[in-house]
Amino acid sequence: MKQGIIIGASAAGLSAAIYLKRQNIDFQIISKDIGGEMALSGIIENYPGFPLTDGVALTQKFKEHIDKYEISVINDTVNALAIEKQNEHQQYFKVITAKNVYTAKTIIIATGSTPKKLNIPGEEKFYHKGLSYCSVCDLPLFKDKVVTIIGGGNSANEAGIMGSRICKQVYVITKNPMMKGDKILIEELKSKANVKIIFNALTQEIIGENFVSGVKYNDLVSGETNYLKTDGVFIHIGLQPNTKFIPPEWNLMNSYGEIIVNELCQTKIPGIFAAGDVTNIPHKQIGIAVGQGIIAGLEAIKFINSLGS
Amino acid sequence: MKKITIYTTTYCPWCQATKDFLKQNNYEFEEKNVENNPEWANEMVEKSGQYGVPVIDIEGKIIVGYSPEEIMEAIKGEDNN
Repeated sequence: MKQGIIIGASAAGLSAAIYLKRQNIDFQIISKDIGGEMALSGIIENYPGFPLTDGVALTQKFKEHIDKYEISVINDTVNALAIEKQNEHQQYFKVITAKNVYTAKTIIIATGSTPKKLNIPGEEKFYHKGLSYCSVCDLPLFKDKVVTIIGGGNSANEAGIMGSRICKQVYVITKNPMMKGDKILIEELKSKANVKIIFNALTQEIIGENFVSGVKYNDLVSGETNYLKTDGVFIHIGLQPNTKFIPPEWNLMNSYGEIIVNELCQTKIPGIFAAGDVTNIPHKQIGIAVGQGIIAGLEAIKFINSLGS
Repeated sequence: MKKITIYTTTYCPWCQATKDFLKQNNYEFEEKNVENNPEWANEMVEKSGQYGVPVIDIEGKIIVGYSPEEIMEAIKGEDNN
């Protein structure tokens, strides 16, 4: 049995790992990837100490840091968790993955989040046929074409700005009456001559034959259904916490599926900690995930020490 | 050894992960960053029938996305040739 298991290997999980390693804790990281949503961030200008970097480069820096401590990541998908009794007073946790079963005295859940889907007609059919959830990956394939970004927050702002540099025309459609997020990004988006923001627009359908050719949306003010001719669609409507593997009867999550934690990253089950975008902390930022990962790591160490040998 | 071509974009983490995987396993590959090369972009779309990166071409076997298992399977196929 390990003393600890960290599930997830992005900003929060890897930060926790560095602190556990420095205290000689016997632990394992299990993750389906390294970097998660951080790696998909594109250009990053708000992570202190790195005035200008990008998701891939910053992930590489985190990787270098764990490599320095010879921390390895098991590439596996966690499917379920369970609690087992060790004796009358102590319990331990089972982490059931696609390939194996691991046990530990404490768990840090740092599984982050994945892009939300619209769940509208055409979305599944045209995935990678002109529709993508990863602008930094796939927008460059739409050079001099027309793309539509769906969403009203920072990810949509960033995708719109990136698209303006690559594409002939960018539409940003949002169901909200204004764009949300960093003012600096909203102003930059608005200043682009080839960007048109369409407010109060609820996307209804992605249209096409073999590839995307258009988007149908409902104008929430006039009630009319409108059509936009477009070559590509990029969906940025928020993130869904990755908590499917957590037994619902544990009641760890709020109504958004986020794990509820206190300021010490403790969940309601002693020995289970959570950190980063998967938690109910409102601001989903790399810097915050790092801080929470460190808190979770330090608290996990305290918990392990409290159990004795 | 089979010829491996990988189509990428600059900030795509899955492209980076695929390249890292190939390097770790000592497989040589040719990278075609499609970002500023419409010819390569068209070539990728023609081969894969889609617009997502990375695309890996292992002598005609086309793999879309980061998939070490599929890559290994396609490479190991050489033993049977």
